[in-house]
Amino acid sequence: MTSKRGQIGESITWVVATIVLIVLLIIFIYASVVLSEFKSLKINTKKISTGSLDWINSKTQMAYSISSSNKNKIQVWISQEVGNE
Amino acid sequence: MDNKKGTDKLLSIYWFVMLTLIAGGVFAMVYVFYGPPYDVREIESEILAERIADCISKQGVINSDFFVDGKFNAAISESFTERCNFNFDVEKGYGDTGEIQYFYEVEFYTLKDTVNPAFSFYDGNNNWKADCFIKKENNKEYAKLAKCKEKRLYALSKEGDQYLIKILSVIGKSEKNVKQ
Repeated sequence: MTSKRGQIGESITWVVATIVLIVLLIIFIYASVVLSEFKSLKINTKKISTGSLDWINSKTQMAYSISSSNKNKIQVWISQEVGNE
Repeated sequence: MDNKKGTDKLLSIYWFVMLTLIAGGVFAMVYVFYGPPYDVREIESEILAERIADCISKQGVINSDFFVDGKFNAAISESFTERCNFNFDVEKGYGDTGEIQYFYEVEFYTLKDTVNPAFSFYDGNNNWKADCFIKKENNKEYAKLAKCKEKRLYALSKEGDQYLIKILSVIGKSEKNVKQ
């Protein structure tokens, strides 16, 4: 009788442990799903395309080398660039 | 003795089941987090803007095709996409009606008037442009809006006239890049 009780107790321990494990796995998978919604690629395109130089800015610099009159006005206008995302 | 052997066997099977469960769970987590889709539209719009800038200005001088008799060549607006070797028909089948998923707009300003463009043209799906002016929040619904990139540069005509150029490039393709 005592042996049977012990067996039942042991079985319950394993069943509970299994349930806890499954619940934990479900929680972690759900957390992965939630976190994956907000994942985004952060890539520095400047580094990929032309080393440390901004491709479009280099064109402006080239134009300055031809004529740099009104440079301040031009720079102010360019700095108003909207970073729409 | 036989009973102990049976228990050991059962326990081994149990451990294998647990191991498979955990391995499956880890696989599911990694797949869900690192699996597709990846939203690369921001980078794509930046690349598109760079290519457009490359077609307009080389070494700081605006392509001579943009001018006829000292004035802007209106015909360039029709042929610019082709001249630049852009093909916007590659994403057919996306969107509700298989519509074009790209849009770009180029505006030329003189230094005298930096508000009203002296010349402008666009191509692609004009419907995406409105998405650029919506203030986006870190929300799933906003993620489905088109991604825009504005680039500004300065260039000169061959005659030495100074122009300010604004490029707006827009990429739709939310179905391909955003988890639905």
